[in-house]
Amino acid sequence: MAEIRFENVRKMFGEDTIIPDMNMTIKDGSFTVIVGPSGCGKSTTLRMIAGLETQTEGNIYIGDRLVNDVSPGKRNVSMVFQNYALYPTMTVKGNIEFGLKNRKVPKAERQKLIEEVADIVGLTPYLNKKPQKLSGGQRQRVALARAMVKKPDVFILDEPLSNLDAKLRQQMRSELVQLHAKLGTTFVYVTHDQVEAMSMGDEIVLLDQGEIMQMAPPLDLYNYPANRFTAQFIGTPPMNLVSVDQLPSAGFNEKAVEQIGFRPEKAKLRHFPGNDQFSMPCTILNRETLGSEIIYQLDTLAGRLFAKTFNEPVVDAEQLFVSVNNEDIYYFKENGRCIAPYLNRETPIKVRSTV
Amino acid sequence: MKTSRYALKGLNVLGLLIVIAIFATPFVWMAVTSVKSLSETITFPPVWIPETIRFENFALAWDTGPFFRYFVNSLVVTLSILVLQLFTIVPAAYAFARYRFFADRALFALTMITLMIPTQLIFLPVYLQFSSWGLLDTHLALILPFAANAFAIFMLRQTFKQVPEELLEAARLDQASEWKIMYMVMVPMAKPTIITLLLFSFITHWNDYFWPLVMTTTDASRTLPVGISALTNVEGGVAWHIMMAGNMILVVPILIIFFIAQRHIIRAFVYTGVK
Amino acid sequence: MSGWFERFRPYVMVAPAIIVFVLFFIYPIGYMIYLSFHEWDFISPEKQFVGLDNFSGLSEHPEFLKSLENTFVFTFFSVGITTVLALLLALWINRPTRFYGFVQGAVFSPHIISLVSIAMLWMWLMDPQYGLLNWGLELFGLPQSEWLASPETALYSIILVAIWKSIGFNTLIIIAGLQSIPPHLYEAAALDQSSRFTSFAKITFPMISPTLFFLIIMNLIGSFQVFETIDIMTQGGPLQSTNTLVYYIYEYGFRFFQLGYASSAGVILLIVLSILTVLYFFLMSRRVHYQ
Repeated sequence: MAEIRFENVRKMFGEDTIIPDMNMTIKDGSFTVIVGPSGCGKSTTLRMIAGLETQTEGNIYIGDRLVNDVSPGKRNVSMVFQNYALYPTMTVKGNIEFGLKNRKVPKAERQKLIEEVADIVGLTPYLNKKPQKLSGGQRQRVALARAMVKKPDVFILDEPLSNLDAKLRQQMRSELVQLHAKLGTTFVYVTHDQVEAMSMGDEIVLLDQGEIMQMAPPLDLYNYPANRFTAQFIGTPPMNLVSVDQLPSAGFNEKAVEQIGFRPEKAKLRHFPGNDQFSMPCTILNRETLGSEIIYQLDTLAGRLFAKTFNEPVVDAEQLFVSVNNEDIYYFKENGRCIAPYLNRETPIKVRSTV
Repeated sequence: MKTSRYALKGLNVLGLLIVIAIFATPFVWMAVTSVKSLSETITFPPVWIPETIRFENFALAWDTGPFFRYFVNSLVVTLSILVLQLFTIVPAAYAFARYRFFADRALFALTMITLMIPTQLIFLPVYLQFSSWGLLDTHLALILPFAANAFAIFMLRQTFKQVPEELLEAARLDQASEWKIMYMVMVPMAKPTIITLLLFSFITHWNDYFWPLVMTTTDASRTLPVGISALTNVEGGVAWHIMMAGNMILVVPILIIFFIAQRHIIRAFVYTGVK
Repeated sequence: MSGWFERFRPYVMVAPAIIVFVLFFIYPIGYMIYLSFHEWDFISPEKQFVGLDNFSGLSEHPEFLKSLENTFVFTFFSVGITTVLALLLALWINRPTRFYGFVQGAVFSPHIISLVSIAMLWMWLMDPQYGLLNWGLELFGLPQSEWLASPETALYSIILVAIWKSIGFNTLIIIAGLQSIPPHLYEAAALDQSSRFTSFAKITFPMISPTLFFLIIMNLIGSFQVFETIDIMTQGGPLQSTNTLVYYIYEYGFRFFQLGYASSAGVILLIVLSILTVLYFFLMSRRVHYQ
């Protein structure tokens, strides 16, 4: 059990700076998900914790221990790899046992530990099989067992579910969350999939170009995005953004506001303008019916917008109005920072646009 | 329409049978000759089925020289080469595949140049070298130059390079030493390649005639192929039946192994030939 | 990390192999080049520097020129015929049934047999009086041949043996090349109603031409080293008609102890092989573009 601390960590590959200056503390016992678009430095961050990469500058602590010069095997960190990285020439048992043998754990104890983890992940009948004989999900469990058996301080998972099919992925997601609850170890999980991040993490680190855009619990990230990047990254379809230039009759008591935004699921489609603060005529370009929800693509004077409805009848009129409640509108400054509506509840910003 | 299809098919099979005949007949003829009497070898038109099967020809051939000695020499030389190669090739291929070190490219280039140097080019200077070391006509002279094999290093390096990086990282996280990663993780993965290369090496050196011919001067170190070739100058003219009997001793075991492990052997040669 | 050993580990690992290569391949080449500028008979303590005399001597030496000519004739015919026949055979017997597998095995079998046995077997088959080949020729009403016994036909007889031995290996390599052509290319061609010939010309041949190139180069390199069959079957005769470069080096080095002479002939072989090797690597770097 340990927290992980990054102190002014900088990572360069040759001339390229991958991570300029990272400071963060991953809480002891948390399930922290590092998420971001590809190339944002999330895997590098993870590999620096494991010791597979060494930072160019700065310090990394696991618990109270400065691990800058500690080799990967001695950090007491376990890792689950994207392609499982099982030793193909060893049996399932051999795979789980390899790390224990290298640590000179006595045989009787090894046996006990293996039986224990095999039982937890349900691999007991497969212990003497080679990995090639197992299904994707079973291989995944071997990788987990191999990581667990070492009773690490930190559990690192690098996109472990990306090779599984959708159904199995769903199942493994909840299994991982339960496993975390059972073990209570710090989990650091990397993914590019925001759904995975939102559904599994109790803390999310959103990275972009090596910088932490926001670090917060999932719902905070959704409800109170700190900036435009977070607002757009979390949620599907992404948050609608409308430049204030395209809202001629809008009035703001905050001068620096450049854009307003609202989530598609908060947009309402009406046959009349209504009384909301934001309302705009629109035509429906496209309609995706997904069952319980329907996603509309709208053409408005402010460009293309998305709207998402739940359990509502299909709207098939061509000419409509899209409107949003005042408290559902986010305001973004020029530098991308978000002034969330909850900060302004007492002095509502007037936005009105009926063109 | 239908008949011409059948005719074509028949023609095809006939053609294939002729192809088989072209490659099988010489061996059959070797076998037939090896059990003939002397007089049956010098008749024309040739006799296909000898009157009596003379197995004593094999004993006669065996007794023309110290064939047991040759056999032991062949075995010692070939097996020594295989063992030594195992100890030189695996580490070298591993180092070339997995480490960056000063002059690694230069040393690899040197290996590749060696790959292109045939023994027919260097036998003279190597002979002089061995003669100055007093190693001529010893097993060492037949073994040492082949203690490493550039081609095998190249092939095995390719195999090691194909092992995903993740696997090594997993092993490092499992606190495995570099040495352990090599022989517990990497070498087992390369086992098929290693076996293929050893098979290839075995056949090459078991059959080799040129090098032992050049480096040996007495029966003490001659190998089977060189010993067998002496059957061409048996006193009192050529005795084809004895000569063929001697060659049967050399050829039949290899042919049997070939037809048992045909798939593996063909794959070994094709695989080592294409890449 | 135990830094000292870690740093030297790669060197320790490559050292045994590199030592073997330098000692038995690289250094001898240098020594051979050195000897080619000297006159030495192996017995006298002194090697006398003679500059390029050995080479100019070679250029006037009819026996050497004959061996060079023979080597080129041997190479040209054996490589040319082997490649063409192997290609045709590969196209013919590249089928996945057991029978075809057996044919492939039969064609390949000479490749794993020692050249010694093959040479001796063919000497017997080519015996002018009692040989099976002459019997076969007679059977078909063809004139008999002197085979190895006549300077007219000896070299071609050796070429025939070389082809017989190497055709199977070549065929199987080409088959491997054919099998690596993705089948969807042929499926696409079939949908485009391409004829069999067009499919061969536009798909098969371009796709296996890299394989063919390399096979040809490797065969060329191999052919320039021909020795075993010559040594056993003809010893370069009759009348020098089968003397080749390597056999010449062998004779002048080991029979006549003219080491300078033999070495300079070795240097000539080195030059030929170097040109082929450079060509090989040039094609190898080009091949990357195919994939």
